[in-house]
This record gives sequence, C-alpha cells and structure tokens, in this order.
Amino acid sequence: MMAETGNNRVQGWRPAATLLAVAVAYYVGAQLGFILRFPPTTPSVLWPPNSILTATLLLTPVRRWWLYLLAALPAHLAAELPVLPPLLVFGLFATNCAEALVAAAGLRWLSDAPTRFDTLPRMAVFVLVGALAAPFVSSFPDAALVTAIQGESYSFVWRTRFFSNVLASLTIVPAVVMAVRNGLPNLRAAAPHRHLEAGLLASGLFLASMGQFGNPSEFGLGLPAELSAPVAVLLPFLLWSAVRFGPGGLSVCLVATALLAVVAGTGESGIFVTQRAAEAVLSLQILLSTMAIPLMCLAAVIEERRQASEALATRLRLEEMLSRLSAAFVHLPSTEMHRALDEWLGRLGEHMGLDCVVIAEYSRTAADELVVRAWAPSEPVKPQTVACREVRWADDQLRQRQTIAVRDVGDLPPHAHAERLMFRLYGIRSCIVVPLEAGERVLGGLAVATTSADRALREPFSGWLRLVAEVFASALERTAMEDALRASEGMKSAILSSLSNGVAVLDSDGTIVAVSQSWTIEGATVGSNYVTAWRETARAGASHGSDAAAGIAAVLARERDSFAFEYTARDPTAERWYSMVVVPLNQPDGGAVISHTDVTERKRAEVNAQRSRQELAHFTRVSTMGALAASLAHELNQPLAAILSNAQAARRFLDAARPDLGEIRSILSDIVEDDKRAGKVIEGLRELLRKGETEVELLDLNALIRDVVKLLGSDALIRRVRMHLDVAAEPLIVAGDRIQLQQVVLNLLVNAMDAMADCPTEERVVSVQTELCDGQTARVSVQDAGPGILTGQHDLLFEPFYTTKPTGMGMGLSISRSIMEAHGGLIWATNNPARGATFSFAMPIRNGTAT
Amino acid sequence: MSRNGARIIVVDDDISVRRALSRLLISAGYQAQTFESVRDLLMNGELGRTACVIVDVRMPGPGGLELQEILSQVPVPIPIIFITGNPDVPTAVKAMKAGAVDFLSKPFSEEELFGAVERALALRSASTDQRRMAHRRR
Repeated sequence: MMAETGNNRVQGWRPAATLLAVAVAYYVGAQLGFILRFPPTTPSVLWPPNSILTATLLLTPVRRWWLYLLAALPAHLAAELPVLPPLLVFGLFATNCAEALVAAAGLRWLSDAPTRFDTLPRMAVFVLVGALAAPFVSSFPDAALVTAIQGESYSFVWRTRFFSNVLASLTIVPAVVMAVRNGLPNLRAAAPHRHLEAGLLASGLFLASMGQFGNPSEFGLGLPAELSAPVAVLLPFLLWSAVRFGPGGLSVCLVATALLAVVAGTGESGIFVTQRAAEAVLSLQILLSTMAIPLMCLAAVIEERRQASEALATRLRLEEMLSRLSAAFVHLPSTEMHRALDEWLGRLGEHMGLDCVVIAEYSRTAADELVVRAWAPSEPVKPQTVACREVRWADDQLRQRQTIAVRDVGDLPPHAHAERLMFRLYGIRSCIVVPLEAGERVLGGLAVATTSADRALREPFSGWLRLVAEVFASALERTAMEDALRASEGMKSAILSSLSNGVAVLDSDGTIVAVSQSWTIEGATVGSNYVTAWRETARAGASHGSDAAAGIAAVLARERDSFAFEYTARDPTAERWYSMVVVPLNQPDGGAVISHTDVTERKRAEVNAQRSRQELAHFTRVSTMGALAASLAHELNQPLAAILSNAQAARRFLDAARPDLGEIRSILSDIVEDDKRAGKVIEGLRELLRKGETEVELLDLNALIRDVVKLLGSDALIRRVRMHLDVAAEPLIVAGDRIQLQQVVLNLLVNAMDAMADCPTEERVVSVQTELCDGQTARVSVQDAGPGILTGQHDLLFEPFYTTKPTGMGMGLSISRSIMEAHGGLIWATNNPARGATFSFAMPIRNGTAT
Repeated sequence: MSRNGARIIVVDDDISVRRALSRLLISAGYQAQTFESVRDLLMNGELGRTACVIVDVRMPGPGGLELQEILSQVPVPIPIIFITGNPDVPTAVKAMKAGAVDFLSKPFSEEELFGAVERALALRSASTDQRRMAHRRR
C-alpha cells in the first residue's frame, strides 16, 4: 500500500514539473530570442521557443499536447507582452504553436521513431519535416501578421523567421530530445577519457568560434570573401563531434556555435551595429543551417554504423555464448544437470551484464508449483518452491507460451500484483521472461532482469533468450526423461525382486534375459534358453516337457495369446505341483514373460477339500440311508420272507409220499428270483453307501429317477405318501456321476416326504416330473404338498447347516447344490401356487446313449 | 376244525410272498387263498368259511389294521395274524390290543407261522363253540 501511494505521488508530481520546465524553457528561449533580434524588426536571428515546443511535443503523448501548449502560453505572454502589442503576441503564439504541431505531428506520422536521430532515414525525415517544412509553412502567417501590425517588410520578416527557426530546429530539437531521453545516464555511464575528449572538443570549438566571431569589425569586413575562413576553422570541430559524439554531440556543438556566432555578431551591446553586420549574421545563419544538414546526416550515418557494429558485436557475443551453452549441455548426464544450470545462470548473468537470471521449472511432482533457481551477482543459486497461484499472471503468460517483456514496472497489467511487488522488492527495472518449451509442453520459464534503466533490455535480446531457453528446455526435458527412465528401471527391478513367484523374461529366441529373485528353476539361468531346457526335460523322459516347450514356442511366435500349464515334478522328498503362465512381452522385439508358481500347497488343499467334500457327501448319504433304513429293511425282508417260506414249503413237499416235483421246481425258481431281488437291493444300497471318486458317465435321468423312486417305494408306503412319476417321453441323457445324481434325487424325495409328515394322509402326494426344456436342458421337479418354504428363507435353503427338521443336519441341499454346480447345473426351489414347494434341478443334455 | 381243510386267507401286495405263503400253508395241509389287497379280499373273498386271515400290515390302500377294524364288526370274529417286513412297536401293540393272534416279522419260520395259525384255529373254534352254546341257551 505504501508503495502504491508513493508511486501515485511521484506520478502526480512529474507532469507538473515537466509543465513548469517547459514554461521556464520557453520563457528563457524567448528572452534569448529577443536579445538576438535586429532592433527595429520583430523576427529574431535565433528563435529557440518554437524548437522547445517541438521537442516537448515529440517527447510527450499526443493526448497531453494541449496541456504543454497551454503551459507555454503564460511564458509566451510574460516574455512578449512587455515588448509587443497584445494582438501580435497572441497571433505569434498561434503561429509558434502551429509550427511545433506541424513538426511533431509530421514526424510522428512519417518517422518510425520520431525521437531518434540515429539512422539516415530518421534524420532525413526530421530535417525535411521538422526542420524545413514546419518553419516554411508557419512563417507565412507569421510574416503576414508582423507586416500587418508592425508594418515591416514581408519578405525580410519571412526570410529572417524561416532561417532562424530552421537553425533553431536543426540544433535545439535533437539536442533537447536526446538530452531528455538518455543524456544524463549516458553522461554518467561514459568513461573518464570521453569526458576529457568532450572537454577538449568544447574548448577547441569555443576558441575557434571566439577567434572567428570575436572581432565584429574584422568580421564585418568583406564578409563574402572571408566567409570560407570560419567554416574552415569550425568544420574540423563539428566533424569531430559528429564522428565521435553522434547526432547528440553534434547538435549540442551546433547550438553552441550558433549562439556564439550570433552573440559575437551582435556586439558587446547585444545589438547588431549595422545593417551590414545584420546581413552578415543572416548569411552566417544560412551558412550554419546548410552546414548543419549534411553534418547531421553524416552523424546519423556514423551513428547507424556504430550501432550496427555494436549490435553485431553483441550478436557475436551472444552467439558464442549460445554455442558454448549448447556444447555444455548436450552430453551432460541428468545427474549433473541442475548443478550445471546453476553455474550457467551465473555465467549468463555475468557475461550479459544482467542483474538477475532466473530459471523456473514446473515441479514434476506437483503441477501447481514452480521450482525457482535465481542467480544474482555474488549470490549463490538456491532452489526455491513457489506456488503458481502466487505469480498467476506470469504463470498464465508462460502457459500460453508468451514472451513477457517488461521495460518498466508500469508495463505490468494492473492485476499482476505479485509480480509488481517482486519488481519493487528486488529493484527490477526491466525484465524479459521466455517460456521453456518442449514440444507441446511448457516446462517453465527463463527470466532475465536488470535493475538500472540505462541497461534496459532490448527487443533483439528476447529472441536470443528464446534460443537459450530452447537449450535449457531440451536439457531439462532430457533430464526428466532420463529420470523417468531410471525410475521405471528401478520400479521394474523392484517389482521383479518383490515377486513371490518366479518370473523370467525371455527374448524372442526363448533366451532368458532377466529373472526375479525368486526364480529358482534348475538349469534355467539368465543367458540359457528356456525352450531348449524344456525340450531336454522331454528327452530325459518327462512327458509334459514337449508340451511346455511347444506352448512357450507358440507364445514366442505370437501364435498364442498366452499359455498356462500345470505339471508335477518330483523333488527329493515329495511330489510337487507347479503352475506356469506364459504371456507375450508387448514390445517390438517380441519375447515373453514366464511366471512360475509352486502350487503344491494349493493342490494339496484342493485334494483335501475334494476329499472332505466326498466324505461329507458320503456321510449325508449314510444319514439319508439311516432315515431309509426301515424302508430298506422292508424291501429286503420281503424277498427273504418269500425265500424262507418257499424253502420250508419245498421241504414239506419233499417229505410227501409222492412229491410234486413240478411244484418244487417252481418253488426253486421263485427262490432264485427272490434271492436276486434281495441281491439287487443290497447292491443298490452298497452303491449308495459307496465312498469314492467321481465317475462321470452318460446316463438317462429318467431311468435314474425311476430307480430312486422304486427304491423309495416302500418308504413312501410306510409314510403313506403317494408318488406320482411323470417322465419325459424321450430319454434325458446327461453326463454325470450316477451316485451323486441319485443322491440329489433321493434327497429331494425324502425332503418332500418329510415335509408332509404332518399332513392328512390323503394329501400326501409327491409329484416327480422330468422334462426336456429348449432341447438342451433336462429339468427334474419334485413337488410336495407340505407347508412350503417360509418367506425369506429361499436364499438360506441351500446354505450348509440350514434345516427345518428336528434331527436334520442341514447338509442335504447344500451338498445337492455343490453336486449340481459340479455338473454344470442349477438347483432351486419355489413355492407352489396352492400349497407346498417345488424343488427343481436342471442340467445340460448331452448327445449319445446311456452307458 | 381239523388242520386239514381249514381255509386260510393271505393278503399281501408282494406276489412272491403271497405265493410262498400259500405253498407253505398248502404243504402243511391247509387250504390257502391269496389276495393282493384288502380291497380285493373284501370284494372277492368269502370270509364266512375262513379259519383265519394272514395280512400284511402296510399295503397300498387299506392295510392290515384297517382290515382288523372291518372284521371286528362281523358277528363271528375272524382271527387275524399280522405279518410285516418293517416291524414297529406301536403298530404291533395296537394290533395285539385289537385282538390280533400274532404279529410276525418277515422273514419268519414255519414254526412261528404254524404256531400262530394253530392258535388262530383254536380261537376260531372256541368262539364258534361259544356262539353255538349261546344259540342253544337261547
């Protein structure tokens, strides 16, 4: 805030001072002009006020011109009113202003840099428009005014005014403009020998002028003949100034010479003594003016050449710097990068005479941060982190790839608060920031700054800076890429070493190029060929070796997307299981990644799980059989009873006197039949109780269900349950384990009968239906008329240990479900619309006939 | 009622059992008539000249117990021998309480069977004598 108000005060004070300075200069100039006047006539020999006005208008913005012209008015009145009639005074002010306006406007319009006189075209425009055309045009009304009011000779007045103004314009305007623009800093920056040279030139010029113009009488005699003499004496000094001090030095010398000549010409009293002397001064006026024009042009040409050679030298220096910079960074390892950056920031700053060089890099870890490395004379570079939002304006410019060129703190836009504060803090005067671009991305920015106005950074410099930025940007990008590569290498090796299963990377020939720490496959180390290793295993007698070799080879040849393989290997103590997965390596050269896992534990667990599943299934079967025991006893007792009775009857028949052998034969064949029948019951029972491996075969579900229903027939009888069997017309061939499927059906039937234990006898009906659905699925439904499934229990039904029976274990349906899942089938339950539930299972149909 | 010629009815749904029993009874000198169900017996049998009935406890349709109940309605009770392949105590108790002669578990020996039949025949003749005496007293 303090800085803001201070700045406003400075800004408010400056124009006022300028206005005052303009007024004072105008007044002094006018007084000088009056002194240098021919007594009876109005026009002056040298009239500086108009030139002062022209210089002022050239140095100020057009919108303020009226203010400066207005400031000159009081000075004009103060100087002229005591001498001239008021009407003439106002008229002359108008013509003076007109001249200044014509000159300033013409120069602004026609010249590319109206306040600079450093090239021939600029100087030519100035001479033609500012020094000749403007006085020429404005002298007509001026002379007319003076003639009308004072009654003087029109041609004399016009001529005198024109030449005096031309001389004043030629000498004063460049002198004032250049002095105001950069006179003081140039003077301060100049070396002592330049001061000495300027002193010598000034005293030489003074002596020469005095020597020539010092004696008016002598000077006054035979002027035309002697005119060449002062020119000859003065010319070396003027040339000296033009060659050594440029247009600025020349114009100062010309002003001095003109003043000296005119002052000398006017005599001690300050008034031209004779008309003839006046004529001589007039001639001198013309002489000086005509001499000034080529001299000014010469000075401009020399200045142009000097600037060009200076620019060339600077350019060469910059180019040299750039090539050294490129050479330094081109092969630099990324680890050295930032140290080298810091060093080169300093070199750049020192060689270019900069006060601050900064490289700001967008953080790789946080996108909204800048890592700033700033160099300042005698200050070590120290990286700092700056949040992007703190320098939002500059950040935006950089991200839009804009070069920021700030000549003065006032050039910063109003919202660039943080940047302005930094300018104040570090005393920065001018600054250029170029983006560090790498392809589409902006990596950061490179900034250079100066703290003094006389070393303001020029436009061409920013072009060069962009080249420097390019070198830095490519170096930084390379660093980033190398770091990323190193990080990815590190990550890769970390991943490889952290893997618990053995991983090997193969090249396209099958040679192992990298392995994880856990890779412990015998005879397969880095450098050996893995495919060959498997082929050797095959040759040694392992039947799976050739399959493995072929699978890996197929993946390497890109014939397969992946290859998974399980095999057993006998280690000294026990048989072990391994699983191998081969996937192609996704890179141009091809190759593959082998993942090798010891799955022995998993396999053992699987075998154990299967065994316990089988045991459990067996157990449930046995317990189901327990429930069926009564029924089975009946089933068995029936033939046994028949056999016993038949046998006893036969014995009795044989005891008879004449045994009926036909009857006995019939009895014996009945006995055989009943024995077979009992045997079948026992066989079926044994099959159900068998504990064993799964045996998948093709079987007809219809037949299977008939068998089970038959087996349960007597149980149903005992329980007073009627069984309805409705089988599909066509055989339902499925692939499965007979016993397991029997178990499912048995379980559903027993459950159905259990469900109806509390129902009236006449309602106890179990309907078993088999059907072929959509030609691909066999469906079996068992419908009862019991209480049905309780609401919300559907999901629990098939869970282990879910039971509604007082003595149930809750495993039957759970096992049925796992059996169905193992057969690629489904089992589910629904409530019937009227009463009871229907349990169904479905499994895929196979082609073929039952075995 | 002599052993020879006594008419015994066998009701069992299992044809093997029926045939074997009828043979055994015939071999011992009885007359045997078999039925495959209670309904068959009631529709086609002649209970009046029957010495005793051997019936399976459980059959499709009405079983032995139902038959026992029906036969208890007739004026001269016909002795009943129950046979079963799946003996259970409650049924046996129920049958015996209702006046069954015996409750035999399959498979049973000829001695068991004939013992029961003899008791039945004795029961039958005793009850016939009682009826005759009562008739005479009247």
